[in-house]
Amino acid sequence: MTAVVLEGFDLVKRFGSTVALDGVGLAVGRGEAVAIMGPSGSGKSTLLHCLAGITRPDAGEVHLLGQRVDAMGERQRSALRRTRFGFVFQFGQLLPELPAEENVALPLMLGGTSRAEAVRRAREWFGPLGLGGMEGRRPGELSGGQAQRVAIARALITRPAVVFADEPTGALDQATGHDTMRLLVEATRGNDASLVVVTHDPQVARWCDRTVEVRDGRILTGAGTAAGPYPGHDARGYPGHDAQAHPGHDVRGHPGNDGPGSLTRILPGRNG
Amino acid sequence: MSGLLGLSWRLLRGGGRRGLLGAGLTAVAVAVSTALLIFSVSANVAFQGRAEREAWRNPVAAGTAAVAVQAVRKDYVRDRTVTVVDLAVLKPGTAPPPGLDRLPAPGEVWFSPALAELARELPAGELAGRFPEKVAGTIGDEALVHPGELVAVRGQAPDSPIMRAAATGDPRDGFPPTRVADFTGTPSPDAQAYQALALIATVLMAVPLLVFGGAAARLTVARRDQRLAALRLVGATPGQVVTMTVAEAVITAVAGAVAGTVLYGLLTPLLAGIEIGGGSWFAADLWPDVPYTLAVLGAVPLLVGLSAVVGLRRVVVSPLGVARRETPPAMRVVRVVALLAVLAVVPTLGAGSAAGVVAVVLGLAFLAINLTGPWVVGVIGGITARTARGPARLLAGRRLVDDPRAAWRTVSGVAMTGFVAGFIGFLSPSSGLLGDADAATLRVTVPTAQASQLTAEARERLSEAGVPARVAVTGTGESRFLAVTVGKPARADETAADETAADETAADEAAVDRARTALGGLVPGRTATSAADEERFGVLLLKDVGTGTVVVLTVSFLVAVVSAGITAASSILDRRQTYALLRLAGTPLEVLNRARRAETLVPLAVMGGGSILVGMFCAVPFSFSSVNIGGMTILLVCVTLGFAGVIGAGAASAPLLRSVTADPAPRPD
Repeated sequence: MTAVVLEGFDLVKRFGSTVALDGVGLAVGRGEAVAIMGPSGSGKSTLLHCLAGITRPDAGEVHLLGQRVDAMGERQRSALRRTRFGFVFQFGQLLPELPAEENVALPLMLGGTSRAEAVRRAREWFGPLGLGGMEGRRPGELSGGQAQRVAIARALITRPAVVFADEPTGALDQATGHDTMRLLVEATRGNDASLVVVTHDPQVARWCDRTVEVRDGRILTGAGTAAGPYPGHDARGYPGHDAQAHPGHDVRGHPGNDGPGSLTRILPGRNG
Repeated sequence: MSGLLGLSWRLLRGGGRRGLLGAGLTAVAVAVSTALLIFSVSANVAFQGRAEREAWRNPVAAGTAAVAVQAVRKDYVRDRTVTVVDLAVLKPGTAPPPGLDRLPAPGEVWFSPALAELARELPAGELAGRFPEKVAGTIGDEALVHPGELVAVRGQAPDSPIMRAAATGDPRDGFPPTRVADFTGTPSPDAQAYQALALIATVLMAVPLLVFGGAAARLTVARRDQRLAALRLVGATPGQVVTMTVAEAVITAVAGAVAGTVLYGLLTPLLAGIEIGGGSWFAADLWPDVPYTLAVLGAVPLLVGLSAVVGLRRVVVSPLGVARRETPPAMRVVRVVALLAVLAVVPTLGAGSAAGVVAVVLGLAFLAINLTGPWVVGVIGGITARTARGPARLLAGRRLVDDPRAAWRTVSGVAMTGFVAGFIGFLSPSSGLLGDADAATLRVTVPTAQASQLTAEARERLSEAGVPARVAVTGTGESRFLAVTVGKPARADETAADETAADETAADEAAVDRARTALGGLVPGRTATSAADEERFGVLLLKDVGTGTVVVLTVSFLVAVVSAGITAASSILDRRQTYALLRLAGTPLEVLNRARRAETLVPLAVMGGGSILVGMFCAVPFSFSSVNIGGMTILLVCVTLGFAGVIGAGAASAPLLRSVTADPAPRPD
């Protein structure tokens, strides 16, 4: 049995008369990287929003380590996103007036960590992510790839259970996108976090353990095993890697870890 | 060019709901500015109108070529002043004075509408009895300072005693018989003083308005610069980009300016009710003057356009300039030097300085504060960011450092109001000096030779009128006063007087007015006045300064709060993507709202306090006395209102923050 961290069951979401999700199920294992692919309007972003507790599904359930995410109030979900999830967006998530290190430290400060401690821990991320010397720069003074790496550090600094990435390389050129994905996957894995990436780029998806295809609000059956070549298992050197165990991250009752590729399964929708 | 304008128009309309909201905010800001600007200009026109209408009552001596003799004196009824003009025509066929349809013949009197009404309302013995002449007509509005003014014009024979009376002491009490060549006259010193005060009030109101209007324009540009930089990237020439931006800003501003004019028109009846100089205004006084209104209507969009160009300079210079945000260069200390330079001039001013000079210096001080503001805000931001422990203050501090001008725009209005409040609060004379003078003793100067005869006549007249009063002659030498103390028994041994009226302090207004009426014409050309009458002008002036203060501060506060609200809303619109993404990542809205509050309140506290001090400093050369309770109360109320207003305006935009961050897939538009 694999350790499932995050699981969505029979998710349905409608926007007016448009059905964005039509009974989707998806489980993400511990440390697993899953790519959600599909054309524009297929519902892949909506799926990510439901899984991440950003939007509430009209029907279905989302469980994080046995907790019902969809049933929580906005305040609780907000706290959950802050503490248990990390987010990397296409661009624009860094506050332009804050230096890079303070952008990274912000989630810790929101959690009550003292400023000095938060900044100290934020700085530890810069070297391993190839951002040495960029601590004091502001987002406007960073390249697109550098800014995304800062965003990765920010997403991971709270030691989240799951990192959600929505087109993380969408604003980058191919080579930079390649590097960014490698760092994202390595850093996430190095921190024992799972990764859910929404993308329309097969090159990006290849970095993940597994790809699911979404079309018209449903997951295409049989499309779930396309794990690409997995270039970087070596995650040493990331601050979270050899840090003390994070409470709540280990899945009670699921002690086994059979390795990333085999941890997950696609749950067919009730109607599909 | 029309193609460019068309494209600007489409960009404006195609901005989506939020784009339109942004343009709407700008239009609202411009509308409020325009309405208040027209008000501040109209106030000057209105005071000028009053001065011109009053001028004919200030006769200018003409020597031999005289066509008439004119005497003016002040009489009093209840707590109001009656201006009595006596006219003796020397040359028939002369053009009549303003407001009269013909020259008055001896034995005729013209009343102003308010005086006519009052004369009907009060018993004849209290007012109408003073004018036994035949009422020949009503004085027209063109000869009245305000609708409620009490004026009487009497025709006299050139040889009547009134037209040969000697001069009174104080020119404020009237003019002795003066031979005049026409009825043009000259504006009175008081009217000119009011005009000067109005000019200063205009500066105090107009400068924050212009700053606010400029801020509104920047607001449009700030929202558009990304898109315009993109246009520049695809090859639009700098000229085209400028044209489009200016077109967009000007289209918005014209709409706002027209709306503001309409708004002002709707407010006119309300504004006409403000009492200054003892009365409210004719609606026509405050109607915007066509040339001035056209000037404002033309200038506002022009200024907004100009401000937009300045704001856009960076985009035009470099297409990447705004796309890549870098640490802005620190602002130079020159800004502070400018303020200090202006303040150095202040001590050279004094109560004797020309109003124009004072207005210019005040305007410069204002502009200097506006120039220094962003620099100070930047410094405060640095301190806040360095010392911040929690995320909210850190965000606030960094934001202040990043864009001190934007933060300054939010608080500038209130800071400017602080300047006004400081200036006025320090300037207001203490009201305790006036107001408790004796109202029951009427005095009139009498020639020494006739003192005893006039005393007897006064006693006779008063007893005929049934007014219990004690009459006595005071003073020595040539300056003898006949003092009539109303309410006292005429003589200690007489018991004819009403016992109930024997109380010294209870001389009621009606009895005093009956005494005035009875004593009317006792000494030709002289009015019996009480000490309270004599300080009536001072009381009025104090009241007017208070009214003016309230008006100026109200305008400033309107500007301040509207500007704080608009900048708060627009800053949310500008940063909606970042805010939305932060919220998606679990940042509580309270933290964002706290940060927004801190980034307003911290500079507000420092700059508001600073401006009050600068305003006080500017008032020092003009202050009559030390700081008084009244001024301090005004200041305190201002500070409280300022903070409450800005907090309220910021809080009002919290739902907007909630709504823009509710979008789960924020994209820059």
